[in-house]
Amino acid sequence: MSGMTESGVSVRSVRAFVRSRGRTRSSAGDRYVTAFCVAVFLAVAGEPLSDVLAGLAGPGDPARMGAGVALIALAVAALLGTARAVGPVMLPGPDASWLLLSPLDRRHLLGRTGRALLMASVVAGAVLGLGMLAVLGAPDQLVWRLLGALTLGVFASVGGMALAVLAQASQSWQVWLTAAMVALLVLAVVAVSGQLRTVPAIAAGAPLQAVAAAAAGAAVISGLLVRQAWAALGRIPARAVMAASTRAGHVASAAVGVDPGAFTWIAEDNYWRARKLGSRRWPSLPAPFALAWQDWRRLARRRGRLAAILATAAMPAVLAQAGFAPAALGAAVLAGGLAVAASSVSGTRRDGDNPALARLLGVGRRRALAARAALPALLSGAWTALALAALSLTATAMAPGAAGAVVSDAVADVDVWWLFGPLAAPALAAGALRMARRSPVDHSLPVIETAGGAIPLGPVLWAATGVDVAVAGCLPALIALAFPTPEPGALLAAQAVAGAAVLVGYVWRTGR
Amino acid sequence: MYDSIISVAELTVELGGNPVLRGLGLTVAAGEIVAVVGPNGSGKSTLLRCLAGLQPATFGEVRVFGEPPVDDGPFWRRVALLGDEPAWYPGLTTREHLELMAAVHPRTRMTVEAALEVFALVERADAAPLNLSTGQRQRLSLAAALLRPSTLLLLDEPERGLDAAFRGRLADLLDAYADEGGTVVMATHDQGLAARAREVSPTGVTA
Repeated sequence: MSGMTESGVSVRSVRAFVRSRGRTRSSAGDRYVTAFCVAVFLAVAGEPLSDVLAGLAGPGDPARMGAGVALIALAVAALLGTARAVGPVMLPGPDASWLLLSPLDRRHLLGRTGRALLMASVVAGAVLGLGMLAVLGAPDQLVWRLLGALTLGVFASVGGMALAVLAQASQSWQVWLTAAMVALLVLAVVAVSGQLRTVPAIAAGAPLQAVAAAAAGAAVISGLLVRQAWAALGRIPARAVMAASTRAGHVASAAVGVDPGAFTWIAEDNYWRARKLGSRRWPSLPAPFALAWQDWRRLARRRGRLAAILATAAMPAVLAQAGFAPAALGAAVLAGGLAVAASSVSGTRRDGDNPALARLLGVGRRRALAARAALPALLSGAWTALALAALSLTATAMAPGAAGAVVSDAVADVDVWWLFGPLAAPALAAGALRMARRSPVDHSLPVIETAGGAIPLGPVLWAATGVDVAVAGCLPALIALAFPTPEPGALLAAQAVAGAAVLVGYVWRTGR
Repeated sequence: MYDSIISVAELTVELGGNPVLRGLGLTVAAGEIVAVVGPNGSGKSTLLRCLAGLQPATFGEVRVFGEPPVDDGPFWRRVALLGDEPAWYPGLTTREHLELMAAVHPRTRMTVEAALEVFALVERADAAPLNLSTGQRQRLSLAAALLRPSTLLLLDEPERGLDAAFRGRLADLLDAYADEGGTVVMATHDQGLAARAREVSPTGVTA
């Protein structure tokens, strides 16, 4: 019998045993509450959703299509990248330690995870399909085009997830996954450069038969991939599942806050484990800078990553082409700057998690923080300056009056615009350092009941820690980006003062 | 000035309502090596955390260098604490961790080369610490703690993961540290290390 081992114990009977002893058994009442909540959600979300869908009717804007296609390609690449970073096949911690290294049938053990992945990719695919339709538009027969887009999106996403599962099971599929991600990135670059302007236009006006054929093709390919992945589930090495399962906790905690560094914490350790390093002499610097040099050396050893970070500076310009509002663009630039700053404070984060080495080094907190602010400030300053310069160029390049020229002409004329980057950098560095030093979520804080739903104060405060300081220090830049003015001189001066004041104030206060 | 490096009087620590240390008294003079011994859960690590200013006393007084210990830069320049394994900085090799230690502390007790030699890490100098074995990582931690200058060395189970031969060598290294005027307080289960030190039990009974 399938699912039975030589000893005759099935995964199902083990799970039933664990469930019967556990304290978290779900009763019929629990299931009723869940179903009721879903029904209420559908009833509440139904009308806005149908409004959104009705708004999709009509032809798409050709000027925005390139950027829109690029964003979708990037979203799929990000989905694949996340799936690979997460595992994607993993188990809850106790299952990983107790059931994985046992004679139980591995495919049945991992089956539940497989079904969860399928559900997740169906939801992601539906969102993807809606995005596709929003970009390409539906000149006629909205319902059929919507169904076509959803089908395509879901099969693409499910196929991608199956590919990620296969990549976890074998090295040769890993190559295919990487190739798919590279192809998507290339597609994004080509689409945003305007080389393929005719292709999305043709796709937007494609007859229904062509849409149906594309959906059928996607279904066949993803079906084959899913069949392969299901077969491979039993062959996934325990090592890979164990690594993914321990990583899952970190990924979950990173997803709650804007903390891209934590996302790659274990991945980072694995990266350095797999690399052959050569020691280089430590530069003779004053003690705080000698300590801070660790982040610089780590960055110098990951040049590819540095290049990738700098390449993402083009993202706000792509968003501008896709028709995002100036306020959203401003927020994207500063959020990107904060993420870049947060990626270069690993020393502070390590010392925050485990201060043993910091105590052995014995550098005063204030001096260490001040020295460690230099790298995130430099990186985020350079990144935001590049992003703002690219935004200005986009605004200049777009024809006046064209859809998407949301960064006003006034902004395009002002070439000092990029200066907001370096001037906001100290505040972004302070925000990143505060994020790196924050303590774990305090779940003892109360949950506040509001008209819009319950707000758990602990996670919210945790997620806001760091972002608060960055926003406070970048307020003039945010105002200038949201409401572009032809003469941003006063706001530039205000930004210079605010940025410096926030960093000095933060280092002074925190380093006590 | 202070008469003794460490003076602890009537120290009581409760964790979650349970008394871990009760009325402990301890005085340690400069140049002494003290081994805190006792069964698991007897409060050895708690005592070390109190001495490092990381655990407030429920009752009683702890003085290190004549003052209550404070978790700040000036304190850690005089005190080297080695407890659980530290979190290594990503992207740095074994040698670079020691070089960082030497770059931050201008007058080290030994050169990086000498430390690699003494702690038998020469062959693994270019490896990331996570690629070392448990014992080698403990040797690296000890190398970092003994490379830097300090007046007081607080060690929590320094024998963890070390082979028998290196435990003997560690006892010699601690003797040399004390001969230079340094003071060592360590929690240990190793009888060899404890035998070469003044043994103290957290229940207050001194051997």
